[in-house]
Formats: sequence, C-alpha cells, structure tokens
Amino acid sequence: MAEQKLIKLKINEREVQVPQGTLVIEATRRIGTEVPSFCYYPGLSLQAACRMCLVEVEKAPKLQTACTLVATEGMMIRTDTEQVRQARKYMLEFLLTNHPLDCPVCDKGGECELQDMVFRYGADSSRFVEEKIHRPEEKWSELVYYDAPRCILCFRCVRVCDEGMDVKALGVGMRGANSVIIPNRGDHLECEECGMCIDICPVGALTSGTYRYKTRPWEMSYVSTVCTHCSNGCKTTLSVRNHEILRSNNRDLSGINKDFLCVKGRFGFDFTKHPERIRQPMVRKGDKLYPVSWEEAAQAAATKLKAVYDASEKDSIGFIGSNRASNEENYLLQRMARATFETNNIDHHRTVDYTGLITALGERAGDSLLTMEQLYQSKAVLLVGNDPTNQNPLAGWQIRSGIRHHGTKLFIINANEIRLKRKATQFVKVTAGQEAAALRWLAHEEGQLSPAVVEQLVQLKAGLEAESDVAVVFGAEVSGAAIAPLVTFGSKLPGKTRYLALGDYANSRGAADMGVLPDRLPGYAYVGNPQAHEAFEKLWGCGAIPTKPGLTTPQMVKAAQAGKLKALYVVGANPLAHFGTLGYGRGQLELLIVHEMFLTETAKVADIVFPAASAYEKDGTVTNTSGEVQMLHKGAEVMGPRADFDLLRILSHQLEKLGRGKAFHYKTPAAVFEEIRTAVSGYNVRPAGLLTGGAEPTHVQSARNGHAPYDVPVGLIRSAKDTLFTSGTLGRFCTMLESLPEATTEP
Amino acid sequence: MDLSPQLTAKFEKLQTSYPVKRSALIPMLMYAQDEYGYVSDEMIAELGRRLDLNNVQIEETLAYYSMLHRKPMGKHHVQICTNVACMLKGGYDLLNRAKKRLEIGHKETTNDGVFSLEEVECIGACTGAPAMQVNYDFYEELTPVKFDRIIAELDAGRRPTPEAVISGALHERHPDETPLISRRWGMKDSHKIDVYLIQGGYQALEKALKEMTPEGVIEEVKKSNLRGRGGAGFPTGMKWSFVPKDSPKPKYVICNADESEPGTCKDRPLMEMDPHQLIEGMVIAGRAIHSHHGFIYIRGEYRYVLDIVDAALAEAYARGYLGKNILGSGFDFDLLAHTGAGAYECGEESALMESLEGKRGYPRIKPPFPAVVGLYGCPTIINNVETLSAVPSIIREGGDAYANRGTPKNGGTRMLCIAGHVNRPGIYEVPLGMNMKKFIYDVAGGIPGGKKLKAVIPGGSSCPLLAADEIDIPMDYDAVAKAGSMLGSGGMVIMDEDTCMVDMARRIMHFYAHESCGWCIPCREGTSWLRKTLERFHAGMGRPEDIEMIADLAKNMLGRTFCPLGDAAAMPTISIMKKWRGEFEEHLKGRCASKSAGLLVGAR
Repeated sequence: MAEQKLIKLKINEREVQVPQGTLVIEATRRIGTEVPSFCYYPGLSLQAACRMCLVEVEKAPKLQTACTLVATEGMMIRTDTEQVRQARKYMLEFLLTNHPLDCPVCDKGGECELQDMVFRYGADSSRFVEEKIHRPEEKWSELVYYDAPRCILCFRCVRVCDEGMDVKALGVGMRGANSVIIPNRGDHLECEECGMCIDICPVGALTSGTYRYKTRPWEMSYVSTVCTHCSNGCKTTLSVRNHEILRSNNRDLSGINKDFLCVKGRFGFDFTKHPERIRQPMVRKGDKLYPVSWEEAAQAAATKLKAVYDASEKDSIGFIGSNRASNEENYLLQRMARATFETNNIDHHRTVDYTGLITALGERAGDSLLTMEQLYQSKAVLLVGNDPTNQNPLAGWQIRSGIRHHGTKLFIINANEIRLKRKATQFVKVTAGQEAAALRWLAHEEGQLSPAVVEQLVQLKAGLEAESDVAVVFGAEVSGAAIAPLVTFGSKLPGKTRYLALGDYANSRGAADMGVLPDRLPGYAYVGNPQAHEAFEKLWGCGAIPTKPGLTTPQMVKAAQAGKLKALYVVGANPLAHFGTLGYGRGQLELLIVHEMFLTETAKVADIVFPAASAYEKDGTVTNTSGEVQMLHKGAEVMGPRADFDLLRILSHQLEKLGRGKAFHYKTPAAVFEEIRTAVSGYNVRPAGLLTGGAEPTHVQSARNGHAPYDVPVGLIRSAKDTLFTSGTLGRFCTMLESLPEATTEP
Repeated sequence: MDLSPQLTAKFEKLQTSYPVKRSALIPMLMYAQDEYGYVSDEMIAELGRRLDLNNVQIEETLAYYSMLHRKPMGKHHVQICTNVACMLKGGYDLLNRAKKRLEIGHKETTNDGVFSLEEVECIGACTGAPAMQVNYDFYEELTPVKFDRIIAELDAGRRPTPEAVISGALHERHPDETPLISRRWGMKDSHKIDVYLIQGGYQALEKALKEMTPEGVIEEVKKSNLRGRGGAGFPTGMKWSFVPKDSPKPKYVICNADESEPGTCKDRPLMEMDPHQLIEGMVIAGRAIHSHHGFIYIRGEYRYVLDIVDAALAEAYARGYLGKNILGSGFDFDLLAHTGAGAYECGEESALMESLEGKRGYPRIKPPFPAVVGLYGCPTIINNVETLSAVPSIIREGGDAYANRGTPKNGGTRMLCIAGHVNRPGIYEVPLGMNMKKFIYDVAGGIPGGKKLKAVIPGGSSCPLLAADEIDIPMDYDAVAKAGSMLGSGGMVIMDEDTCMVDMARRIMHFYAHESCGWCIPCREGTSWLRKTLERFHAGMGRPEDIEMIADLAKNMLGRTFCPLGDAAAMPTISIMKKWRGEFEEHLKGRCASKSAGLLVGAR
C-alpha cells in the first residue's frame, strides 16, 4: 500500500498534521476541538445539510462546512470566532422553531444531541412566536416509533438504512419545512428491525418500542458486555435500572462492531425476565420435577454422579458444553470431565468446523485467522456458504462497509441467492452440498461440476488471483476434509490470505477453543498427544487424562439410547432437541443433569435441573467466531439462577468431599481466565486490552498436534440456521423477537 | 396492473430511453397521472417492477414534486398563480373568485370530481398575468368575467381554447429591440424544421461540424462573451472548457428548461416558437465537449412546450440533424426532452441532475462541479435555454460579432420579460447594457395610469429589489451588480407607487418557503419562519420587534445555506427591509401603502 502523504494545516492557530484527503471536521476532532454537527456521521455519505459545522477558512469569503471541506496544505481554519459562534446560534434557533421542546417527556432527554448543542452553543431565548408544525406520532412497528415534530431531518436514519444496512426501508416524504421521514410500507415498516435508525437518531424522533417512556437516562447504570446471540461478538451496552435491563445499544460506538447491532443485539434481552425462567433447582421425583434447595440439589448431583461413576465402566458419563456459556465455564466443565471423571466424553453442538480450520492451517493457524476489523479492511473477500446478512449480521455489515468505503471486491459461492449477492463482484451459484466440490476445483482444478459452474469458477479464480490479502470466509457448508482444498487454494493467492469460519451462538468458538471436544484438549491439542496431557495433568493435579477420543454429542445421545452411556451432564445446551428427534427422550440414561434457563426439551426430562444465569447476568469472557476474546460484565440480576461457574465450583467441592476429584479453587471467573491465559494456546492476550473493553485476538496454534487424526462425520457440524429473528433455544424466549411479523415471513 | 396500450407504449419507450432506468421515473409518474388523475398504490407497484425500485424510493420521489398527487384531483385541475407578477395584476382576486365560483378551497375537489383548485407558484406566464392553468392549458390576462366564462365552458364539456402562444411575446417590435434569437417569433410555423431551415437553420451546426474543431467552437463561444442566462451569469465558454477532455466517461449536455424563477417566462416562447434553434445549439455544445447525449429538462407545467419540443426532436432525427453520423460528419448526438414535475429547486443545476436521475431534487455538494462530476457522475455541462439558443448565432456570425451586440464582458442580446405594473408587459430582446429606465419607460411603455414607479425586481424574485431612484443604470451583469442587485434570469417585475411592500415581501417569502427543498436547516426553517412572520405582520398583527427580527433572520440565512435558494429568499427580503422599512412601521400603525392591506385578513 502506498504510504499516505501527510499535510499540515492550522486549526485555531494550532498546527495539525493529517493524512491527505482528511476532512477538516476530522482534523479538528483529532486535536480535540469540537466542531458540532448533526448530519455528519463518519462512514455515511456526506450531506452538509445541518450547517452546524460552519467554520472560517482564511481567504474564503463565506463560512465553509467542515464536513465537506478537505484539508489542504497550509489551510487556516478558525472554529471559534464570533462569526462562527453566531452562525451556530442561528442554526440552533432555526432548528428549534419547529422542534416541540417536549424534553421533559422525551426519551432522549438527557442524552440528546440537540439538547447538548443548544446547551453549548444556543441562545438563551427564542424569538419564534409562530405556530409550530405539528403531526401526530406514528407507530411504525413494535420496535420503531416516529415523532415527526422532533425530527431535525439530519437523514442519518435514511442513510444508515440504505447505505449501512442495504435495506432501504426509510425515505423522505414531503418537502421543505414539512419534510418527514417515511417508512417503506405506507404507514408502517417492514424491515430487519435492527433499530440502527433509533440509535443513530440524534434526537427523540425515532424511539424504541421496548424502551420508550420507561425511564430517564440518568436513572440507569450502563454495563458494557457482549451480545449473547450470534457468534459475531458485538459489544452491547446494557442500560440497567434496579438490576433490570431496560435497553441494549451501542451508543458509545465502541467495540468491534462500532455502531452496529442487529435486532437481536438491540432488542433480544427480554428473555432474562421471561415468566418461564427457571428460578429454583429442581429434582425429579417420579415423573415430576420438584423445586428443592440449592444444598439438596447440589448434594444430589454429586452423590448420583459419584454413584454412576463408581458403579459403571469407564467412560459411562458424558458432558455436553455450551455455545453460550463463558470460556471459563466451558473450561471448567471439560476439566470436570477429564480430570474429575477421567473421560473425553465431552462435546458441544458444533455449528462450524473450527477444529477443521485450525487443523488444516497447521502451523499457519496462529497468524492466519481473520478478525472482524480485518474483514472490513480486506480488499477482497471470498465467501463460501452461509448467509451473513441473516446468520452473521456483523460479518455482513463489515463486508458491506468495506465495499462501500474502499471498494472491497466480494466473491460468493453459495447455493442460495443470499442478500449479499447484490453487492457481489461475482456470485457463483452451486447446488446445495456442492460447495466442497467447488473448493476442490479451485484448489486442484478437478472434480465433477457442470461446465457452467466451472466457467464461473475460472472467472472467480482469476478475479481472486488479481487481488492480494484475500479474506476467506465460510460457513458450516465447508467442514472436515473440504477445508483443506480451501486452504490450499488460499495459500496460493497473492499476499496473506486469512480465514474466518462463521459459526453460530455467542461462544461457540470459545467452547471449541476451551477443549469442549472429545478429541481436543484446550487449545486444540490432540488428546493423544502426551506433552499436552502432561501439562494439564500437572496443572490440575489429576490422574491420567484418557488418550482415546471420547464420544461426540450425537454419539452420546445414541449411546444413551443404547444404554451404553449412563449419565449425561448438560450445561446450557439442548441436545435432545438438536440431535435426537423430539420425543426420543433421554433413552436409558440413569442420570441426566442440566444447567438451564428454561425447561427445554432436555431439561424437561432431566433428573436434576439447575437454574442458570444468562450471559447478561454474569462475568467472564467469550470468544467470537473470529477468535477475539471479550469480557462479559454482569448487567442484570435475576433472583434464583446462578452462573454455571458457581454451579460447577459448588459441584466440584461436593465431589471432593465424596472423594471424587479435586475441588475447583478459583474465586472468580477472572482467576480461571488467568489459568486459561497460560494454559490454552493462543490465549495469552493482553489483559489491559480486555479490561478497557476491547477485543483481543487469539492466535491459536495447533503446531504441537503433529499429524493428529481428524475426521468429521456427516451431520456433526450443523449450522443453527438462525435468521435475524431466531436465536436457537434462547430465541424462543425472546418475546419481542417472536412477536415481530418479519420473524415469520421468509427472508 | 392493466395499462392502456398508449401508456404501455409510452412506458416501454421511457424505460429504455435513459442510460439509467430510474431516470424514467418522473416522466412515467407524470404520464401515469395524466391518464388516471393520480398515482395509485398499484401504479407505484407497477413502476417499481418496471424500474427495479422499491416503493419507498418511488414514494419519496413523488412526494417531492408538487404536480404529482397520491389522491384523485378533479377532472379539471384549476391552478391559479398568485406569485408576484400575477399578484400585482389581481391574482388574489381571481383566486377568491375561483373559490366562490367552484365552492372549494385550495387543494380541494368538488364533490362531483369535476373541478379541483390549487393556488400555485409562478407558472411562467408573467407577461400574461394574471394567469392560470387548467390541467396543462394556459389561460392568461384573466379577469373574473373571463374566468367565469372558462369555467362555464369546461362545465359544459367543452375545452376553451388556451393561449396560442404566451401573451406578451408577440408584439410590435420596438425600435430599440435587436431581435436575434427571437427573430423568428411570429413567423407562421416557426417551430417547424422547414421554416427553420429556410431561415438559415442548422447552418451553424454544419459549420461547427465540418469547418471547426471542438476546441474552436469553445474558443468562439469564449470570444462571444456569452454569459449564462439562467441567473448566475457565468461565462459559457469557460464552463465548457472545464470538461475534462481525457475523461473516459460519457459526457452529457443538459438544457435547463426548468424556468421557474418568478417573473421569468422567456424560455417558454424560445422553445415553443423556435425549438430547432435550441436543438442546434445543443448539438453544437455536444460537439464542443465531445458529448453524444443531451437532455432538455422542461418544467412539468410546460407540457404543451414539451410536446412541441418532442415533435421538433422527431423532425431533427428524421432529417439527420440528430442521431448517428450527423450531416455525414461521423459525429453522433442523441437528444431527449424530459419533463419535470413541479419543483423550483430543480432549476438549481445539481438538483436538476438529481431529478433527472429520478430522485428528489436535492442539490449536490459542490465541488465537484457538474463539468467534472455531473449527471450519472459523468462530466456534464448544463446551460439555460436562452444561453444554448444563442449558440447557433454565435457560430454563424462569429463570437466577436455576437459580443459586439452587447457591452464589454457582457456579449450579445438579452431576452427580458417585463411584467407587473407596466403598460406593455412582454418579452423583449435588447442589447445587453440597455438603460433600465429607458427599457421600462420607452420599450415597455411606462407605468399605467401615470402612476409613479416604486420598485423593480430586475431579474427574477431572487434579486434584491431596486427603488425608483436606482434604475438609471445599464442593464448588464456588472452594472446591475454594482447597483446592488442582479440581472438574474431577466424577469423584471414593476411595482407602482400603490404597491404594498410588506405584502410583496410576504409573497416572495411564501414562494421560497413553498419551494425550499428541506435539505438544509437555515433555508428550511428560515423561510418557513419568515413566511409565517411576514404573513402575521401583513395581516396586521405585527410587533415592533418583528421588523428588526425579519431583517436579522434573513441576514443570517444569507451565505449559510446549502444552495443558493436560501440566498434567493434572503436577498429580496433584506433589500425590502432596508429600502422600505418605513412601510413596515406604517403597518404597525394600521396604515398601508396600498389598498391591498387587509385583503389577506379573512380572505386567506
């Protein structure tokens, strides 16, 4: 990349150096000088409509808008002269003429950009005595309300919906002072309901159906954490009052997602107070579950597990970890399986083949993984399978933003005409299941494909070969042996090719990284690898960890049917719904213990059910699908449930008392993470980055695996096929998502 | 939906006429509305299918244009102009008469659906004021009696004959007139190609194609000192030379025929009586900048003019003056006439391009200027009808000869419309630099009834007004600028001593508030605030502090808006507040310079 030329300009007599092409408004922000604006929004098209950013430019006869003015060498800018101050004052006076000044009842009061601007730059009185233009408020959807009089027509919402989301659901109606924002279905909206328009609105014109008239901003505390829905790891700020989440957004524009959140991240938090939430531990007596005390439940769990362990053959107990539980919890769970119960029967619902990718990359894995930021920066993206717009909304946003901001070229191989097609440089349609064949063709120019597809692949290959530093992104369609040709093809492309596997759920990557896998220890070390064993055996002070791979989730469910598996310990998963057909039930299990938030198909047939805290109710870390670790912070408090971390810790102590294994002596999840940092490959991340709310990329290496066997049977890797409005089992308890008409229409 | 064969044919032609499909949207909406009386949900869906647009894209576009309706209008849509020229000649009396006669108000429809009424902004019939349109038909020099007669005819199912040509265009030439681009006006069938050819038409094109290089054409236009006749007066040759020669993109020529500046109605006769002159000018312009595609953007109200231009284009294609290999020179040029749909803002060049692309007519950020990034993001020159109509004369007689018709730096002749309180309202072609006083008194015959002159709008209502003692000046761009105003678009409006300047300020602001696109805050909110304040003030509810405030608000809009519309609203207001402040003070005391004060109370 050519080095960017720097130029010097003066802002208020202070010299500033900025890259050529920088807008004056950005240059002023660089030195902490505020030039106010409403319509200017980094990343969206320029408007110069609000005229708030007018500044004095030496030798220019008129004031200039800093948002459209490109800084040039030697330019002299003044942002705080009498003329500039007066211009701002008049703009605000003009703006307030039709603005209702209903701040005392407006949701935005206290965090309104207009309020702040008038406070800082406005006049102390208004001369406007005419009648204001009034219009009744409109309900556009369950989530979006529009109050036209409050609208200052900055058009941020229209732009973010069109340019950012590629949804184009908003427009401008009427003209002049009567201009209004209009929704795409006459009197209502039909869209992704992402709520980007609400958050981007500088005033209270667009308000949220879930938050409006509930509280004042200063009555809440703000907790930044990671969205618990898909695997992309968007940072979200929970607005909490009296331990209750009232709102979720990302108004500080921090985190890997900056201003982006989808409908789930923004509105999918109501499950925390769903009436069906389990609030007490339950133990089965006969064919019914009865609430019991924590002591009773914990003791029962420990005693029964010990009894099964003592009475049965080796490997009679299985563990299923969670795609949503924290890294620490998954780490502890697999420690319990391997150290306490000496089995590798531990797995989770795998939604994409992270192990396959790490294995295929081998020694290159550590520096070949693609972060979300790198996805945005990429000059070219090869997307195989998946539908990011629906399944991985942040990845979709990053790709679209890259296309918009710096002309990223997008090449798609997919069996469906996914939404990103309209942004693609090239789209190759294959029949479902043919993705692997297409990749084999790209790598080795062999395989049985129709001439039409081959012709398109030739073109796609040529297109990618003309690019460098390509980002390769794939979904569950590419797993196991199909990943190798993808890496072979990628490694032949110019520059540094990076890879991103798109899974589902907030910590599916973390679960795999933490060794919640029957054949891989934490950090993907093969269970048959003696060095890896020793390290963990020493660390945990336990006996020999078995070297034979354990059962996968489907195998465990089958083994339970056959009576080969006696006990199953499930944390935050619903394997009986996912893998056994419903009604297949628990088979011949003697003991089924479940940590759950709701009575899922699996929890319903359990012997012991522990009420689990959700991700919004606990601390810890999670790793998103691109391998970036972020911290969870406890936002809400729900009476009854406890974090899986607490449950596993309590259980380990009970078991130690009964003479089975060692108790877990970690006081906090942070203590577990300290161990993870040293013990798990790639997790030695900077704590400072995490503690300041950042995302730290991991560099998982599987070098020490040598030639570990790796095989993925058909059906093991299954995408959850979530849409924007579903979120696995959890989504069924997100009342708001369920209620949206868009949730039931085909995308 | 089921469309008539004619509309289907029209749609299919429009869909394939533009480099980008969406450009066909506004014409398609207009033609659809002509047939159905409004734009229905089904029609929006139909257009969405045809143009690959979603309905919000169509809704937001059509909502911008005042001629497009989402609800059925009357079979006869009566549109009465009350803008400055018409107001001075009794436009409001006419509107009141219409309300009584039709028993409906502004934007209402009679129960039987036969008539609907709308008070409209300047329709480009200033020299025939007061004027109205019924659907697309112009009726000018109206009186309440004439109005009633027209309504009666319509009621009886007949179509009263509309004006043959715009009133005031055809008159006995004054000796001081120098008809050049208007010289064919009044000749029988002057709009037809045969007449044009007999009169020396298309010879300049032949010369430009066969004897001159593109650079040579630009040089000649530079020499002519031709300056833009749309309002800003930018040197035309220089504008053309800004088009990058090495750009691989297509280049476009646009004729801005969105004539909407109140007081201005010269482009209308130039197109209706001499469309080939314009076409010839545009092909020459295309040759000069290596463009092969042009558009004539004609305001929606001028539908009959569009039809005349369309017919002329067909003739020019048939005779080989348009299309492939023009006159065997190897030069290709396609030209399309495009209808607007009622928006003053679309006269601003970049807003016009947005509109031509089928969008809301919002102006664009400049720079880049259209010569570099214009229509469809390609280099584009855009000129007024009068400017382009002068091009054939310049090429034919040479730049120097043309320049000599005017004053230094102000080459050629100028079309001037004069309306309001004058004895001979009309459209005159005079040399640039003629004395304004002489023009008003000698050429246009002075003020009726021997009354004294009070004020002059020198070039469309955006210009600062001149008082009676400021008009002894040459009418060229520089001299009028020196006098504190602008030559603008050539639309002069004359006010006699009985004119209420408070009312004038009110009416001018009413127009800009109506036409503000709403993009930027100072214009959107400023014009709306000033309109309300001036209305209140004029109605007799003014406060002493309002006077200072009106001037102050206007001054603080000036120079701070996104496009010149804000300035256009501020400048006349500032000049009125400065020069006729006394009348505002008199108003506070309940006294008014004209009988028209108080007219608005109760009447509106």
